[in-house]
Amino acid sequence: MATHEATEVPTAGASVPLEVRIGFAHASLQWIADRCGADLLHVKGAALDPTLVPVRGYSDADVLARPGQVRLLLDELRGHGWELINSFAYGSSFEHSATLRHKDFGLLDLHRIFPGTGPDPEAAFDELWRDHTTVTLGGVECAVPSRDAQAALLLLHAARGGKDPKAALDVEAVWTSVDEAQRDRIRAWVDRLDAGLGFSVITGTLEDHRDDPAYDLWRVAALGGTRVEEWRARVRAAHGLRGKVGVAARSVLVNVEHLTIVRGRPVSRGEVLAEFFGRPARGLREQLRRRGRKREGDGA
Amino acid sequence: MTSAFRPGSHTGVTVSDDGQTVYLAHLPAGPILVLEGAAAVIWDEGTTAPAEGWVERVAASVGEPSAAIWADVEAFVSDLRERRLIEDGPPDA
Repeated sequence: MATHEATEVPTAGASVPLEVRIGFAHASLQWIADRCGADLLHVKGAALDPTLVPVRGYSDADVLARPGQVRLLLDELRGHGWELINSFAYGSSFEHSATLRHKDFGLLDLHRIFPGTGPDPEAAFDELWRDHTTVTLGGVECAVPSRDAQAALLLLHAARGGKDPKAALDVEAVWTSVDEAQRDRIRAWVDRLDAGLGFSVITGTLEDHRDDPAYDLWRVAALGGTRVEEWRARVRAAHGLRGKVGVAARSVLVNVEHLTIVRGRPVSRGEVLAEFFGRPARGLREQLRRRGRKREGDGA
Repeated sequence: MTSAFRPGSHTGVTVSDDGQTVYLAHLPAGPILVLEGAAAVIWDEGTTAPAEGWVERVAASVGEPSAAIWADVEAFVSDLRERRLIEDGPPDA
């Protein structure tokens, strides 16, 4: 009788499609959250309402945890085979998510905030939680935001997608092609989530927010920029002197977790040192290339 | 009306779109198990109400008399039970 155990390296005839593994990643998370009493919302990917964007691929599981319970969840996850491979501080310029990996279920992005919502992450989570519903993933009932809230979150995600074709398709499906009544419902969620700055990228009104400390962060995310510009934006967006110094310090430290993933093995002290000195040089080269292109453009 | 058995409280389940393959996961930490062919049919019929006559339905699906498959079905279900992938009785209220 054909029963196969699908381990890390599936045997012939026992391969498990990626979407099945990701579904089980969501199920695993919900199972853990239920047992440790944590609130969790499954977002994007497999959890996305299929009527929003009919055909949309995904390669990992995304979940948004109640901010005050993130530490609890991280500890629980590591006790159940989930390995932390990128911490919050090094995850992205928004420092919003940590990446974990499971040998059977694949990759997971654990969000402590959803970029664009705020400024109080706990209040934003409460708003989403208030109207949440459920969907079955991997055979387990998982909590998801309401359909209109999902639309607003997807647009905030697309807002920092730059020229990514997937982001453009999301905007077309969820905003450009919908009627005014649906847009009003999305705008209501943007207000509830205090997400005006990020959403202004979608409506083409980002310049109205030039005085916002996080303006540069969104400008770089939406339009692109060099590493130096990205780090400057992160420093500007960080709260208080202590936060700004912390971000500035990270900008010159090497993310050993990430380097280990990139190289596919533990890295030596020498490699960490080489990366330390190589990264500022790369940032400078990018800056110079950008200025060179700008001058060529000016001269044309 | 109840089924012969139901997924365990620590079991994740996904059925392929064509219904030919059943994926089971021990939650929360794995592993994933894949049921194909007759194993998938047994899972499908065993978790579908009514419980009465479920082995006969499996037999009809695979084109064999019930008596010929009974022992194999019994062994397979015992294996699932030992792995704590199934539980007997009606679902929790």
